[in-house]
This record gives sequence, structure tokens and C-alpha cells, in this order.
Amino acid sequence: MSEAVQLDTGHELDLGWMDQHGQWDTKAEQSKYGLTLADIQIGEYGDAPVESDNQTGRPRGAAERPGSYRIGNYAVRTKSEIWLDNASFLYEEALQRQWSSATDIPWHTIEPLPDDIEQAQCTMDTFLTEVEFVAGDVPARWISQTTPDFFEARNVLLCQVMDESRHMDVFRKRALANGGGLMKATGGTAGVVGSIDLSRDFTEMSSRLHISGEGAVLTIFRMGELMAYNDAEKAIYRLCAQDEARHVAFGVMHMRYMAETAPERHEEIHCYLDEAERGILAGSQNPAGQFPTTSESMAILLGGGKKHFDEGRNKLIAIRRRQLSEYIKRVRSAGFGDRFDNGRSQVPEILADIAA
Amino acid sequence: MTPVPNPKFEWMNQSRQWGVRVKPGKKGLTLGSLNVGIYGEVPTEWNDQTRNPRGAIARRGMPPVGYAIREKAGIWADCAADLYEEAIQRRWAPATDVPWDTIEPLPDDVERAVCQVCTELSQYANVDIETISSWQHQMAYGYHEVKQFLATATFDAGRHYEVFRKRALRNGGGLGLESPGEVNRMILESRGGWTEAVTYLFLLRGTYAMTMLRYLERFAHNDAERFIYGHVIQDRARHMAYALDHLKYSVAHVEDQTTVLATLLFIGDRLFARELRDPVLREALAIIFGGGVEGARTHGMATWEAMMREFMARYEGTCEWLRVRRAPDRIPEEMRRFLPEAD
Repeated sequence: MSEAVQLDTGHELDLGWMDQHGQWDTKAEQSKYGLTLADIQIGEYGDAPVESDNQTGRPRGAAERPGSYRIGNYAVRTKSEIWLDNASFLYEEALQRQWSSATDIPWHTIEPLPDDIEQAQCTMDTFLTEVEFVAGDVPARWISQTTPDFFEARNVLLCQVMDESRHMDVFRKRALANGGGLMKATGGTAGVVGSIDLSRDFTEMSSRLHISGEGAVLTIFRMGELMAYNDAEKAIYRLCAQDEARHVAFGVMHMRYMAETAPERHEEIHCYLDEAERGILAGSQNPAGQFPTTSESMAILLGGGKKHFDEGRNKLIAIRRRQLSEYIKRVRSAGFGDRFDNGRSQVPEILADIAA
Repeated sequence: MTPVPNPKFEWMNQSRQWGVRVKPGKKGLTLGSLNVGIYGEVPTEWNDQTRNPRGAIARRGMPPVGYAIREKAGIWADCAADLYEEAIQRRWAPATDVPWDTIEPLPDDVERAVCQVCTELSQYANVDIETISSWQHQMAYGYHEVKQFLATATFDAGRHYEVFRKRALRNGGGLGLESPGEVNRMILESRGGWTEAVTYLFLLRGTYAMTMLRYLERFAHNDAERFIYGHVIQDRARHMAYALDHLKYSVAHVEDQTTVLATLLFIGDRLFARELRDPVLREALAIIFGGGVEGARTHGMATWEAMMREFMARYEGTCEWLRVRRAPDRIPEEMRRFLPEAD
């Protein structure tokens, strides 16, 4: 670092900026979890506007500069479009629970598996490598279109992109760690097939991505013990489930906020859910659904090989039941449970069919 | 509904390369170590527009996702996989890792200056977030190492946005005045390709921010500030490593790229120079370096000038390393006066 040169004469200073600031005398105090985002939501700094007119990317609560360039043509600038009440909590939790696929997975516990099981595992890994970063690419696009006035929600989405990146990488690692390799991709996330990409509204995207898509995957990860053959795979499913749970919680809490604050959008949200439910088992994005590549792979893993396919199939059906039950609970929690009581949703019927 | 039809197992035995067994090394099972056999073949062009993982068999007939960045020269850096793992290992949490208790009340002028600098740095992080995340989904899957590294970069930027806000609201102050925004706009509007965005976001703004952060670390008032600046420097150093490696790769593989970069910087320098005329950040830094308003008029401003000389030396040194030739008389006076030869 260079040494400063001592000047003989003093510089003229303007200093007019010193009196242009946001709310002053702010002294945020730490809580038992450290100095969290919730702890700095004080005074004017805690007020996320219902409608954001911030088009300069100004940090919320900072003083406006009249000559500042309008740089943010933000598509998401209405609070109800993206907000959730527990974003600060989810963000801080995400930071605390980051993990490393390189060093936190006990890779040495992986032993050679029978070829049919390894192929099934590698097929699932290929599928998960393919789908996990949909959940990275799509939120990233929305992050760049969201006003920083809603930075708490935006920061949770940044964590999600990070999490999905790690998921993409951990499943690739598993596929290449045990004498196998990547298999044939499903293509289920391509273009219009992957309808998550089509969303023109954040809540529409969130309903497909967080509630139905990631909700279904979360159930599978939570039941990962049933198809894990070593401690490494158990750790992968457990840690991924922990991350997915936050992403699903984001979707549920956002939809709840939407239900409470934008009743005029209820019917529209129901339409998104109608669409999501049509593909909940029929599409190729739910690996426990009816797409043969992934459902057969899962049945082999759950049963313990091709020879025990029927046993695996029964477990797969149990997973589907649980996926649907959990989906119903989430949608009810989000404030849209009436669809299950008034006959609009076919999910209770599908669930009854499976149970029979 | 037939719950699960009778299996056909048509998906079995379909792999381009089987029998791969990558073992963890001393740094664990890293992303870079997976690049064996066909899985390590990174093509110069990636025409598959689906999310087909590199090395998997593509399913035919799938509609395109529509990736804009499909050429290796427009995105690649050899170090991306290693930087990705390093970013994960060096994670930190502002809430619990920063020793917030070490912050003591500061003289009012100094607190105002720190808060102003934190406001600007928070806004820099906002530009990092918005710029990178607007490009991520446009990058083809064949170059997943870069996509994954950039996920760590936006994650870092989210943390920077947060930590500078926390510092501003911690010690009896508040947020200051927003930045002029002209350079921010230039970075966000770099639509000519990811390489252009990298040039403005990292080579120009990044070099400046890194120099500023080094000085701020030197003049930190307490362990909390020292920790913050030190860790943001560590994060930003990874971003710079990717950026410079990518620019070097781009220069080596794209015809006339050095001239294009020179033109971009010719334009960028002018906007950057215009922002240098704005007194706000300069005076806030001088107050911090000088220990108050009085000190700012003398040794504070002298230190700011030393900082600018250091910035220009690094900036020009990097351009030279990239073989981007820049005639001094084409550099705006506001910057040229800090060139080493100008002493």
C-alpha cells in the first residue's frame, strides 16, 4: 500500500452530503442469533413499501439523490408479489446451514453396488443434476427484476440459487464416484416442457417451483433413507432436504402473504395451482410420478434391485401418497385450502385412488 | 390411473461413459476432480439448448430453453471449479461471525463518513447481484462450472449487501446518500455479452472497489470493521480471479478482443471519471482516512490520492497483462493524473 503524501495546503471540502441521510441515531442491537436481518428492521429501515418507486437501486431507507440515474426497470415492485413475513429468518438460517459437497459428505463410505442399483442411482443423479438448476436459473432471473426495497426476499432467493448449485454438483459427484456415470437425460426441463420457465409472474413461478416442484422433491429427499445404500447417500438426501425445506417454506409463506394481502388475485392463484396439479404425477418433473425413467429407477432403489421391483413399486406408491398429502397441507397452510373442499382440486381424488 | 406400469427398463445401459470412479483428494471430492474422460470435455461451442448435463446422453426432440451464451470464449475461466469450492469453504455469516460488540461510538463526522461509505458499498453489491443474476439463466449448461461459481458470487454479493447495511445501522448512524448511478447503469446495461459485463463489473469497478476496501481495512476503527472489510476483500478476490482469468481466456480465443476491450474501457473510463467528480464518496473516504473533517482536508485527502494512484497502477497493470493497449492521452484527466508516470 502506498504511503500518503502530506500536503502543505488544505483541500476545500463540500460536505453538503453529510446532512443528507436516512433516519439517524439508529443503533441495532444483537439478538441471541447475532445481528440478524430482523434486528436491523428498525424505524424507517424496517418499512418495506407496499409499492416501490425505487428505480435507482437505492438501498431502502437511504437518502434520495435527485440526479441519480434510473437504472432499475424492476418488474417486481409490489410488495404482495414477492413478500413473505419470515424472509429474514429463512435467510439467516440459510447462511448458518451452508454445507460443502466436497468435504461434508462421507464419500469414503460408498462401496460398489450391484449394476442395476448403480444404474438406477446414476439415472436419478442425472435427473437431479438436470432439474436442480432449473431452481437456480429461474429464481436468478427474478432476482435481477426485483427492487432492492424487497431485499430480504431477494436474499433468500440468492441463497436458493447457491443451494441449487450445490445440489447440481453433489448429484453429479455421486454419479461419477462409484463406477457408474451419467445416463440419459429426461429432457423434462427443456423449453416449454419445463413450464416453470414460462411463468410471467413471480407468484406463478413460485407456485410451480416452490410449492409443487420442490415440494415433491422434498418428500423424496426426506424419505431418502429408504433408497440410500451408504452414509454418503444418506447425508446427501438429509442435507438437500434441509435446503429444500427452506425453499418450500419460502413458497408457502409467500403464498400465504399473497392470500392475506391480495384477495383480488385468489382466482388467478387457483388457476396456477390447477395447472401445477395437472402435472403433479403425470409430468416428468416429479421423479416419483409416472415418467418411466425415473419412477422405475426409484422402484429399483427402493426395492433393492430389479428382482425386488414390486416391493420397490409399493414403496414408490407410498411416497406418492405422502407427496400428495404434504402438498395438500402446504396449500392449506398457504390459505388456498378451499380448493380441496369445494371439489376444484382433483388431488384428494387421486390420493384416494392411490390409497385404494 | 395405473400407479406404476409394468417396467420396461428402456433407460438402462444408456451411458456415454460408464465405470467412472472419482476418489476424494486432500480437498475432498471437488468439482474440478470430476472432469475425467468425456465428463471433462468442455467444447468450444455448446449447441445443446436443453438442460442436459455435460456428459449425459441428450434426449432428442426437446424444445430449446434459449441460452444466449453458448460459446466457451464468452464465459470460460479454467479456475472456476476451484474458486467454486473455495467459496464454499470460506463461507461466513455476518450475523454471527462479525464481532459486532467491538464497535464503539465514533465522532459524529467519522460515523457519517463510515455510514456513507457503507451505503455506497451496499449499492455496489446491489449492482453485483442484479448484473450477475440477469446473466446466469442465459448461460448454457455445458459450462456448469462457471454457472456454479457465479452462484457463489451472487451469494457473496447478497452477504455484502447485508453486512454493510448492518454496519450502517449498528452504531448510532444510518444510511447515507445513494450513489450517482451512472457507472451502475453502465454495468447493468452492458448487453454486448457477458465478457463486456465482466469488463465493467470486475475489471473497472471491481479493481476500484478492491483498492478502496484495502484502504478501509487499513483505517478500520474496530475489529468488526476489520473483519468486514477483510472478508469482503477475500470474497471479491475470488470474483476478480474469475474475471481476469476469463478475460485472459477471451483475449486468447476471440479475434480482435483486445481492441474491443480497449474501446469498452475508453467509454467506461469517461463515465467512471464523471463519477469521480462527485465529492460524496471521495470526501467520506478522506474523512475516514484523516480521522475527521479536519484531517480530511490534509492527510485524509492525500491518502485518498494515494489510494487512487494505487487503483490506477493496478488497473493499468491488469490492462497491460491482458495486452489491452491504452494511450495515456485517451484516459480522462480525472484518472490520468493518478497514473504512475504522472508523479
